[in-house]
Amino acid sequence: MFEPVGVNDMMVAAMAGAMIVMFGAAYAFAFALSKLNKKRWLAFAAYGCFAGLTVNVLILAKSLNMNGFWTIVAITMLVGYLLAPQAIWKLSVGTHESSDSK
Amino acid sequence: MSIGTLSFSHLTTGQQLAIKYYSVAVILFAAQVLFGLLAGLQYLRPDFLYEVLDFSVNRMVHVNAMVVWMLYGFMGAIFWLVEEEAGVELVGAKLANLGFWVLTAAVTVVVLVYLFVQIGPGTMESLWFINEGREYIEAPRWADIGIVICLLIFFYNISATFMKGKWSGISGVLVLDLVAVAGLYLAGMFYITNTSVEQYWWWWVIHMWVEATWEVLVGCIMAWGLIKTLGASRKIVTTWLYIEVALMLGSGILGLGHHYFWIGTPEYWFTVGGFFSALEPVPLVAMVVHAVYDSGVHRFKNSNHPALAWFIAHAFGNFFGAGVFGFMHTLPQINLYTHGSQWSSSHGHLAFFGAYATINIAMFYMGIQKWRGDVYMSANIAHSWRWKWALSLLCLGMTGMTIALLISGYEQSFIERALGGATWAAYFEAQQTAWYVQGMVWRQIWGYVFASGLVLLIWDLLTIGKGDTRPMLLPEPAEH
Repeated sequence: MFEPVGVNDMMVAAMAGAMIVMFGAAYAFAFALSKLNKKRWLAFAAYGCFAGLTVNVLILAKSLNMNGFWTIVAITMLVGYLLAPQAIWKLSVGTHESSDSK
Repeated sequence: MSIGTLSFSHLTTGQQLAIKYYSVAVILFAAQVLFGLLAGLQYLRPDFLYEVLDFSVNRMVHVNAMVVWMLYGFMGAIFWLVEEEAGVELVGAKLANLGFWVLTAAVTVVVLVYLFVQIGPGTMESLWFINEGREYIEAPRWADIGIVICLLIFFYNISATFMKGKWSGISGVLVLDLVAVAGLYLAGMFYITNTSVEQYWWWWVIHMWVEATWEVLVGCIMAWGLIKTLGASRKIVTTWLYIEVALMLGSGILGLGHHYFWIGTPEYWFTVGGFFSALEPVPLVAMVVHAVYDSGVHRFKNSNHPALAWFIAHAFGNFFGAGVFGFMHTLPQINLYTHGSQWSSSHGHLAFFGAYATINIAMFYMGIQKWRGDVYMSANIAHSWRWKWALSLLCLGMTGMTIALLISGYEQSFIERALGGATWAAYFEAQQTAWYVQGMVWRQIWGYVFASGLVLLIWDLLTIGKGDTRPMLLPEPAEH
């Protein structure tokens, strides 16, 4: 079903897990700011953060021996972190526009 | 209305009841911290209070006090908002008052019995009258039944008030959630001899309360709080409440699976728990977008600085405590070594404080403002250093405790679980290593910092706005 983390990889796996969420938040933050201020460099920063997130997902996947089904979990995580902020942005704009038009 | 003076005449019936709930919540918060400090000391000096106040009892009261004070805070917050939200007086106010006194008397008796009957054989009598023996929900069976009855009375008060008055998006979500709060507690009230099945249902209460129903309650309270302190648009807040509830429940309900990894349930729980646990932080992260959008598009003026500061602390605390510290060790590959260790304790401390204590404290500040006749609580309030220092010391103390526990937890997972194979001998060996002990020492020191913040918080809650005759700044509706 799964192979436990190696003793020497425990710290790496924990840090990678924490950094995934931190980079996820940084990506969401920079992405929203880039949309708000229409600044290109912020969009680059956002995707830079997503690249950081991707690296940490790869480190996590390697240290936690995420093979087979667990590869799908890692990919779903990446897709979720990439698309969720964009979906929330669209929802934010949509809900506020709909409220303003009333 | 005399601004700056405490008077029940400033409050509605529900709000008067809320003040009672808040008062007991603060007392239990203090008890939680006191018993936590004693239990922390016992890690450093195991003979401290041995056979006077044993560690098992200290820890139990520490954790139970936390669960109950948060519940009191939530119930108070809902009584606080129900009449304004429904537009009518509280239905069944006398019954609600009776419910409060019965619940408070029951809590007092339960704690006294914990303290006076600390050891003894586990029998059906002890299960009914002393201690049910289930971690976190140790209340004896008679008290369990009492809790459910009080929650049903509470449900009646709230739902009947909305039925008599008007419904809103917030009230609809709230009432549905209250059914789940009372209903899920039933899962912890029956006894099964098969430990795996027993734990299976036990987690329904622990996980579903904390990561589902409480999150939704907090969402409702936060939504109402943002409308009141910031003048946020009700339509937008309500829409986002629906979205957040859907996201939270979407990943949170089956995230339950990460508690089923090691209790003897079928292997498919590794798959279910791993998958949904991996997705649990995504809504927290995605909500950063909405926060940035709102702060950039609107320029809000708020009516209550301390409350808003605690709402912001809630957003960060929830993100770090539940999101970052949770995902560090939630997948089974690593959770095999970390579950039930000080690592879990580290996550638990920050997550409970960040997600729930903060929002209750924010509501206490909103309560005190109105109790003092809608007194001014925006910029330049007298003695503002008190709330700022209280917030800083509490957050700093909690952060320090979390990091110290993480260091001890890492050492414990490494030595006891990964190297020692989780044997009884390895359990004790891990707890004698230098890093583990130093972590526990620092946890105690940060615990004192936290306790000093709590003293300051209580002082501030008792005095803030006293003698100030300026009226509250009305929050301005959002500018677009």
